Parts: sequence; C-alpha cells; structure tokens
Amino acid sequence: MTGHVEDRREDWEGPVPVPTGATAPFWDGTLEGELRYQECECGHRQLYPRAVCTACGAEDPPFEASEGVGTIYTYTVCHVPGEPGFAERTPYVVGAIDLAEGPRLLALLDAEPDDLEIGAAVGVRFWQVSEEAAIPVFVPE
Amino acid sequence: MAEPILAGVAESDLGETPDRNWLDNAAVATVRALEDAGCTLAEVDGVAVAGGDDYMPALVLSEYLDLDEPSFLEGTEIGGSSFEHFCGHVRDAMARDEADVVVVAYGSTSKTGPGRDQSLEETHPIDGFVRPTGLFRPPGAYAMAARRHMHEYGTTEEQLAEVAVATREWASMNPKAAQREPISVEDVLESREIAEPFNLLDCCLVSDGGGAVVLVSEEKAAELGVPEIAVAGVASTSTHRQDISEMPDMTTTGAAVTGPKAFDQAGITHDDVDVAEIYDSFTYTALVTLEDLGFCEKGEGGEFVSGGTTAPGGELPMNTQGGGLSYCHPGHFGVFVLIEAARQLRGDYEGDRQVDDAEVAVAHGTGGLLSSSSTVVLRRES
Repeated sequence: MTGHVEDRREDWEGPVPVPTGATAPFWDGTLEGELRYQECECGHRQLYPRAVCTACGAEDPPFEASEGVGTIYTYTVCHVPGEPGFAERTPYVVGAIDLAEGPRLLALLDAEPDDLEIGAAVGVRFWQVSEEAAIPVFVPE
Repeated sequence: MAEPILAGVAESDLGETPDRNWLDNAAVATVRALEDAGCTLAEVDGVAVAGGDDYMPALVLSEYLDLDEPSFLEGTEIGGSSFEHFCGHVRDAMARDEADVVVVAYGSTSKTGPGRDQSLEETHPIDGFVRPTGLFRPPGAYAMAARRHMHEYGTTEEQLAEVAVATREWASMNPKAAQREPISVEDVLESREIAEPFNLLDCCLVSDGGGAVVLVSEEKAAELGVPEIAVAGVASTSTHRQDISEMPDMTTTGAAVTGPKAFDQAGITHDDVDVAEIYDSFTYTALVTLEDLGFCEKGEGGEFVSGGTTAPGGELPMNTQGGGLSYCHPGHFGVFVLIEAARQLRGDYEGDRQVDDAEVAVAHGTGGLLSSSSTVVLRRES
C-alpha cells in the first residue's frame, strides 16, 4: 500500500483512463493504492507502461511497486481548464514528478500553488475515477 | 549536394476564414506561392503537406489541386516543424532527379473551425497518463518547461516578456500582423494568467490561414530566373511527443542537435546569420531555441533577449514578421517561418522592416510540446 484511495467517482467529470494491455497492471494497482512502474530484467525502469522495454527491447517488462514518493521536477498552475470537467477546479496544479525509483510521471498536484516549489518532496494519493482506474495525485509531504 | 531553391512563398488570407476549410487555405496559399515563383500548377511534380484534418493529407491536396501523377508525396506529421523537416526530403528527392517543383503547404481553421475532440474517450494510447491531469495543452506543457528553466538558470518572467515585446515591434511594421499595437514588459506581466508562468501575451495567437513555399531544383530556378534562395542545411529530431514528462531535459530542446548539424551542412557560423526566424509558440519557445541553436550559452537566453537584441535594429533580428505571438498562428507555424526567411533574403521589404543585406537566415520549427525540432539554413546565392 503506497497511497490512500479516495472514491471520487460521483463528482469526477474529467477524462478517465482506459486500461489497455500494457497499462492494465498499472491501473489495477491504482485501485489498490499501489503505484506501479515497469522494471525490466535489464534493470531499466520506465513509466508510462509500454509493451517493450525502451532500453533492451524485452517484451512486457514486469511491474514493481513504487514507494509512492518523489520530488517535483516542475509544475504549472493552470488558470484555463485543459480538459472537460476542470473548469470549476481552476486554478489547479499539474506537475512532473520524479519518483524515488527514477521514472517521471505527469500528475495533478493537490496543493495550494504558493506551497509548492521545484525539488519539494511529494507523496502519492489516488482518486478513483471509474470502475477501472484511480488516478495518481500527489500532495506535499 | 544539390540544394533546392526556395522559389516562391505566400500566405492565404489570415485571421478568420469562416468560408474556407484547411484544404481551401492550403490550396490558396499554394497557387499564390506558385504565382510568386512564376510557375504553374501543371509544373508541380511534388507536394508536401502537414496538419489539416485528413490522415492522408498529401493525397487529398494532390487530388484537390488535380496534380498529374506527382512523383514526390510527403505527409510526415511532426507538428509545427514538419515544413522544415520536408526541406530535407525535398533535397534528397531533387538529388535523385525525382522532382523539380515541390509545393510545401499548410492550411488550417484553428480559429473558426471545429475545436479539438473534447470527448472523454481516449484518442491516443498515452492519453490515460496525460488527460486526467487536466493539463492545459499546449500552453501548460510549455509552461512547465519554462518553469524548470527559471529554476535552473534564474530566467525571469520579465525576460520571457522581452521576447513578446521585441516581436510586437516587428509586427507593428507588418500590415498582415493581427496584433500591431506596441506592448511593454509590464503589459505582458499584467495580461491574463493562462498557465503559470505564462500570461496571455506569452502565448501565440490562434488564427485561421495557410502558407506555402515552392522548392525547385537549381535547373528549374535558373529557368524561372528567381533569386537563388538555397536550402543550405537541414536537420530534424524529436525528444518526445504526447507527454511533456517524457522530455528528458525540459531546458534543452532538439534544436541543440539540429542547429549544429544544419549549420555544418551550410558551412556557417552564428556570425554569418543575418536574420533568425524561430518558431515562437510561446515566449519560452523562442528563448530556449536561441540557446539551443547556440546564439548564446545555455541558461543565458534570458539575458540575451533583454534590451531589444532581437528587435528591429537589434543584434539578431528575429521573427521579423511578428511571429506566432503577434502576426498569425494557425496551428503549425513552421511554414510561415520559411516564408518570412525567404522574403528577408530576397529583400522584399523597405525601411526598418527589411534586415539590411540579409544573406543567411535560420528558419527553425518546433512541433508538438517542444517535441520536434527542425532547423533550415537558407542562403542567398550571390
């Protein structure tokens, strides 16, 4: 268990992930509060999940559970909604998060813009947005 | 290697074209560029087109123009730098004597046409990792990169604003530019917040319109008697596409790779460059590209653009038609970058709008979310 899962299915009006072959294990993990990344036998770690390892070409690299912590590589405060369902959320923060294990992930940052800075430590939470998926959302640690 | 000659350039009507679709605009720009080159449609034996709302754009434009068995067809879609990218393929095709007259075209109705798909259905396999974040793209993605640059190098919002201010100065001399009123750094900083650190005036316009350039072989250029604006260097690369977090280093674009390659091919150094036409989807796009092309050291772009370096009369005239920030931006600005570079090298303008005795121009396109980079060096053969 790396992060709390909050059920947001009732009020979520934004885009919803659609698990596909290579990404299904990732989204399955989110429902259990586990942030998963792929770690190939060659040692390469990657996100988003892919059918191949981008380092050695191995097919279907296996998944590992992340600790769910990382740092903010960068972020922006969106004053204009970028997707359906986000109009009432503005201003909201989207960041690129460097996980402690290495892979970088684009994610919502559930925080006040003034409380954020690049390099700051964050931890993952999950918002369940459908039967099939919860989205990773990061909060300052 | 034989160098294609940029024989003709033109825009369609710009701004709002509610009675024309993307194909109409691409076709109108094409016939105008052919007229500029002194060519006819019947002489066209190749077409290269990007953008548009068709997944076979080269075929649909060829059909629309009723081309007679064109020997060169190119529709590679790498976003706003596609047109610079095409120049290399045209060069290769002409070296093999496969084409003599190639039209590189673009058209869009970004402003009045239907918006992008706003359904909740995924349209791309990677969307599940991008769209649920709500990131406002493209601005938010470029903004994240700009924020990182500010963090690493101390670049300021004021310095980003300098790009918009200098570009507007150029636009004030271009009757075709949508925004011509002078602006100040304060105006940029006080304009509406879009995606921090960008305000409205850090962001390009949204326009309808099209553009086209006609590339011809050296033999054809001699026959036409056009000024010899040669494609002297071309290089392209990409760093990522859909997800800005896949960009390995958000403070360095592919221009760091394509610039040196294109400059080497052309046998030029930065001192030789008289005018730079650099895709400015956002103020940061132009700033970071100037660094990556090597006009200043990495991290010093903010200082470089301050004080009117790129403005009329500055050391490095840049985006002399007013850029995507103030002239027009129908989605893929790369074709307009080539158009203006050619016009400057031909000496089409008068007064301060014309860069004195311009012989070498750099035209640089950026596509996607800082994803693709393509550099072209154009040289006027004397």
